[in-house]
Amino acid sequence: MKATLEAINQMQADGVIGKYAIGGAVGATFYLAPAATVDVDVFVAFPAAGSSLLSLAPIYEYLKARGATELDEYLVVGDWPVQFLPLADSLDEEAVEQSVSVIVEGISTRVMTAEHLIAIALRTGRSKDHSRILQFIEQRAVDRSRLQAIIERHGLASKWNEFERRYLGGTRE
Amino acid sequence: MAALSFTEKIKILEKLRDRELAIAAAGLRRKPAKESGNVKGSQK
Repeated sequence: MKATLEAINQMQADGVIGKYAIGGAVGATFYLAPAATVDVDVFVAFPAAGSSLLSLAPIYEYLKARGATELDEYLVVGDWPVQFLPLADSLDEEAVEQSVSVIVEGISTRVMTAEHLIAIALRTGRSKDHSRILQFIEQRAVDRSRLQAIIERHGLASKWNEFERRYLGGTRE
Repeated sequence: MAALSFTEKIKILEKLRDRELAIAAAGLRRKPAKESGNVKGSQK
């Protein structure tokens, strides 16, 4: 992971990407017991540019010139397959903006808050995302009032209500 | 487990990832033998 994060930090320092934050299963591992995953999800903001078109091409060009290789939808950077995800909406933007600074193997990086990880998992809505949300709840790794505010702010209330109905017995605290 | 440092958790993640990839690779290698019917009694 050290080489992966060093490469991403250098890419940020070189102005290819703006702020970034780790999400997905690796981000969740900051708060939870580790669960198997084969890739790292990195949400990236791009430096302000004239075009509204977002392309991952500059990231691929930069990292491939430094030894990264393509593998399906991933770019293998160091020893981790990385999926770079442009910020899709205001939830992604807020998640990156409010991410927390952490140190991994002596390297500084950023991880989304538990509540933003949950909100993004709720938005994505696959079985494994719902399973991760349950882990956060079961391991008491979430601030429920902060989560509720994010859910309402980003229009996820109906999805949350459905999640509660399916997995939490429809009870509200 | 949740009280481990992030660095320690990442080390565990890397071991889990390597194990998953090894299992996947082993599964792919076994497939031809299975298809040839040469695995009688080997599956539980």
